[in-house]
Amino acid sequence: MPVHTVYTLSRDDAEARHWLEVLRRHCASLSGVVIERVYWLEGDIDVGKLTSLLVNPLYQTASSQSRLDPAHGPIVEIAYRPAVTDPETPSLLTASRAVGESRLEFARLSKRYQLAGVSEAEAHRLAARFLYNPVVERIREPGEAVTTLRPSGTPSPVTRISFEGLDDNRLAELSQSRSWYAPLSQLRVIQTHERQIGRPHTDAEIEILVQSWSDHCYHTTWKGLGLLKRLAEATSRIAHPLVVSAFQDNAGGMEFYEDWVVTIKGETHNFPSSIAPFGGVATKHGGVIRDTLGFGRGAYPIGGTTIMGTLDPRLPDEQVPKGVLPPQFIVSEAVRATAYYNNPMGIPMMHSLYRIHPGYAKCLALGHSIGLVPRAHALKERPQPGDLALLIGGETGRDGIHGATASSVGMSGQTLEKDAAAVQIGHPITQRKFTTAIPVLRDAGCIRSITDLGAGGISCAAGEMAAETGIWLDLDRVPLKDRSLTAWEILLSESQERMLLVIPQEKLAEAETILDSYEVDHATIGRFTDTRRFEAVWRGEKVVDLEMEFLWGACPIEPAEIAPPGVESSAQAAPRAVAIPEPRTAHEWAAAFHRVLGHYHCADQSAAAVRFDTTVQGRTVIGPYGGRHHRMPTNFYASAPLRGRKYGLVTTVAYNPFYAEAVPDGPSAMARLMMIEAITKAVVAGVDYRDLVLCDNFYTPRIRPEVAYQLKRMVETIADFSVEIGVPFISGKDSSSGTLETDGLTIDVPFTLVVAAMGRVPDVGRLVTKEFKRAGSKILLVGHIDSHALGGSVYADSYGQRQGRLADAYDATSIRALWDALRRLHRDGIYLSGSAIAEGGLALRLFESCLGSGFGVYLDLPLLGGERRDGMLFGEFVGSVLLEVPADVEIAPALDAIPYRVLGEVTPVPQLVLADGDHELWSSPIAELAEIWSRTFREVLE
Amino acid sequence: MANPTTAVLYAPGTNCHEETAVAIEAAGGRAQLVLLRDLLQGKARLGDFQAAVIPGGFSYGDHLGAGRIFAAMLVARLRDQLVEFLESRKPLLGVCNGFQVLAESGILPARTLGNRSLALLENQSAHFEDRKVRLHVSATPCMWTEGLAGEFLEMPSAHGEGRAFACPAESLADSHVVFRYAAGQTPTIHYPENPSGSPAGIAGITDQTGLVLGLMPHPERAALPVHYSQDGLKLFRNLVRFLHPG
Repeated sequence: MPVHTVYTLSRDDAEARHWLEVLRRHCASLSGVVIERVYWLEGDIDVGKLTSLLVNPLYQTASSQSRLDPAHGPIVEIAYRPAVTDPETPSLLTASRAVGESRLEFARLSKRYQLAGVSEAEAHRLAARFLYNPVVERIREPGEAVTTLRPSGTPSPVTRISFEGLDDNRLAELSQSRSWYAPLSQLRVIQTHERQIGRPHTDAEIEILVQSWSDHCYHTTWKGLGLLKRLAEATSRIAHPLVVSAFQDNAGGMEFYEDWVVTIKGETHNFPSSIAPFGGVATKHGGVIRDTLGFGRGAYPIGGTTIMGTLDPRLPDEQVPKGVLPPQFIVSEAVRATAYYNNPMGIPMMHSLYRIHPGYAKCLALGHSIGLVPRAHALKERPQPGDLALLIGGETGRDGIHGATASSVGMSGQTLEKDAAAVQIGHPITQRKFTTAIPVLRDAGCIRSITDLGAGGISCAAGEMAAETGIWLDLDRVPLKDRSLTAWEILLSESQERMLLVIPQEKLAEAETILDSYEVDHATIGRFTDTRRFEAVWRGEKVVDLEMEFLWGACPIEPAEIAPPGVESSAQAAPRAVAIPEPRTAHEWAAAFHRVLGHYHCADQSAAAVRFDTTVQGRTVIGPYGGRHHRMPTNFYASAPLRGRKYGLVTTVAYNPFYAEAVPDGPSAMARLMMIEAITKAVVAGVDYRDLVLCDNFYTPRIRPEVAYQLKRMVETIADFSVEIGVPFISGKDSSSGTLETDGLTIDVPFTLVVAAMGRVPDVGRLVTKEFKRAGSKILLVGHIDSHALGGSVYADSYGQRQGRLADAYDATSIRALWDALRRLHRDGIYLSGSAIAEGGLALRLFESCLGSGFGVYLDLPLLGGERRDGMLFGEFVGSVLLEVPADVEIAPALDAIPYRVLGEVTPVPQLVLADGDHELWSSPIAELAEIWSRTFREVLE
Repeated sequence: MANPTTAVLYAPGTNCHEETAVAIEAAGGRAQLVLLRDLLQGKARLGDFQAAVIPGGFSYGDHLGAGRIFAAMLVARLRDQLVEFLESRKPLLGVCNGFQVLAESGILPARTLGNRSLALLENQSAHFEDRKVRLHVSATPCMWTEGLAGEFLEMPSAHGEGRAFACPAESLADSHVVFRYAAGQTPTIHYPENPSGSPAGIAGITDQTGLVLGLMPHPERAALPVHYSQDGLKLFRNLVRFLHPG
């Protein structure tokens, strides 16, 4: 079929202006950027009929030839790689039919950037650094011949691979050459199985086995450490009355009100986000949202987060390790991707957090999804023999093949190119369609069970759902993007935006009608059986025939070697005190505040946050920013999920990459502190801690004996602590692949645990926010303090120091006493505003509470007590809280024996004043501090 | 008409239909969600409704241009029903993506179906802007803002393409502008109070009858007691008053 091209130009192109501004900073001679968008249209079509779709004549023009004059500067044309589908293609096909052109068969897009004032070589350098990622995109060469746009070709036949007689070396070679990344122990089990069944396995069978046994799908690492059930056991010991579903489904579920359940899940997508941040982060959101849709019989997503840990984006390119993308590029692409995926999904952003650490050469890319589901649909039913397997959503392509296995191994300097196939671009519109349809299907009783297709594709989803029954799949019925996919590729493809539903036979017709009305593509690809076998046919041949018992029971788990950290580390056993000169003069105090408020972790990150919709769905009550002019970070998110009801859902997150290295036992201390921080943030807002549940996300270096030791300590610590405080974890995820090997260097991520808390309140209107409420109020610090505990603090980090005593003052009893006291104070309406101490200490909270209110604060340093005054202001006393109380209210009786001190008062002038008795040490207008606070991150994104 | 019903039209990618219906009902009206596909297939008819709202979202992924495919479908396939709807003086509201649809279809500002004279271009910042905005209500006659002239309304705004651009420029005369972004007491072109950089602070536009309104900010997200503002409800109250005269 003929391929037509339509070149379009815009008279008013904000994107071109944006790139001119950005690129000019890196290349002073650049004088202009023009972007020509090209549509490649295949089919016997009348192009004229489509023009009004492709351009708006008010500001765009279309032509059959490029209008860019090469004399004005070099042109770089960028398109997605052939195997990556353009998101616009399906919409373009639908729209062209609607306007009466039904002969359009396929479409692709490309963008031509003309960069004026630079050389050809410079243009390519800028393009490579900023405009495209070779993992998913490519430069189209001028004059490239195009005969067809559709990926085409014939599939390779299914092959049988015998392991008979192969020794360990040959097995390892085979595993390497086929990108199985399977440990030898698994290959040997497969070898033995081949002998037992008396035939060689097909390539499809081996792919299914190694994929199902990958760490990503089977959690071999955690099983090897004996950790997998540790948190689930702790949760069942707590026997919390609100827990509906914990660690057994795609997300965890907590009882809300009036027979509704709220769900939470956090998912990391670290490897793809490191090598192709735009695609990686977009599909991270897509995947975790499908975990919500795949909870019970289908929950509806009502909130999400995005949390990133990277190298410092201000690092000069030449200091970035080989094989690692520049962190500034990762962060800005990640922000763009979150907006690209989450906004069209129509899910409010609850928390966006960006953190840095020199260990994040392989970045942390975490997202949570919160869901809402009627209690009656919160638990899956078991598939019945005869039930149908219905695949819905996008077509299956060659995307993300080996994603599950690739994500389970470390990343090397060469990974950038080698495992490109594990990365793809999300299509939020496809997922949005079935997000609308799933609750309708569910409420019509069509769904027996549902799960998402993420890592491991059809193989993993079908294998898990049918583990107790058996399944028979007809792979010829799977709709393909690319006709050349062979059986194992169809089974393993990780093409995004697909879900697998278990539908009772008698409900199929109704389900199909509902899906059609929401324009969701669907295909019945098989049925559940009672054979306890995984069977699949393709092109008339039985390509898979495995016993479920073997698939799910034979994976060898190698006990991991565990060893405490060696001599080298224990030399640090006695934590050093941080060596920072205490500020004395006004000038030194100003510098100290500026360091902390301008630190990446404390700074205003709204330059990213404003790109994410926080109010869609009309449920948001308190968003990520509040107070005066909506500039103050609120540190919690609250919504009213049930329309017309005042019940509140509250979420908080805690993530600190510094604490783990403060002291030798830092990882486990950090883990516990993250729990305390996440819970205290919610409690001070007015959530009873007995109405809270938690979600854990681990990110740790590749397992070696000392790493295993720390990880085990972390898990045991939080499991035990959750029992002691009675607040359960209900879902979580681990990734133990945070190690990059490049150029002879091994870079480990810091031991990372992100804790998210989710709770409920009967009246969302009673939540207390952080901004000061009235001049003249007393400001109190409630809880323990330790002015020498600056280890892991932002303040110490700003001096390049992280080791030192951690502010780790609470055990289960003392923290519960504090939470109980806060609960009483909140019940009686004693405090007007409050915030939980975390990174940036008292100083950041005082500043933000002023910013959010237009008031100021007068702080009398001698009242703070403590030996180090900077330690009092910048120490991160996790668990302790800052409260604002009316001047005439006495809170001591309500606090029982919990220590507290009055620090000063709220003043009508927006000014922060540090005083020593009657003597003013330093003061600063809030606006001046706000300028420093808001600069850091804005500069990174610009 | 015993029970006038407002159709809330939604297409693949629309994501504000539920809360829009909730806001209409909170104002005392009756709303029904209607799939664009059902209109295209004749399973539903615009004529059966007394008013219509095209809510926000990313219809058809905003591919090819925000609101463009939705608009192309209205123009190519539902022209007769739309003309009849407009000629029988029924109110029509487009919020955010719905406003983009009304512009891309030529309904705003001049009811020239299929002939575009207003576009909503990419924000000056070249990215999506999620903001709480303050809107000044002009004296332009418009059913939706009846009795609100001179007031300031607070509501969320969340979009990537909201910068009004008219050709010819006169087609966007003051007589069409209903809402302007305001900083304090004055309309503004300055960021971020005007998140898109829209000229003259334009945030919402009506047609010559005052029955069709398009606006970028989201009144349905400031309509319930749990919201930080309930100013958006005022628009829906006016709709209900119009549908239930006396």
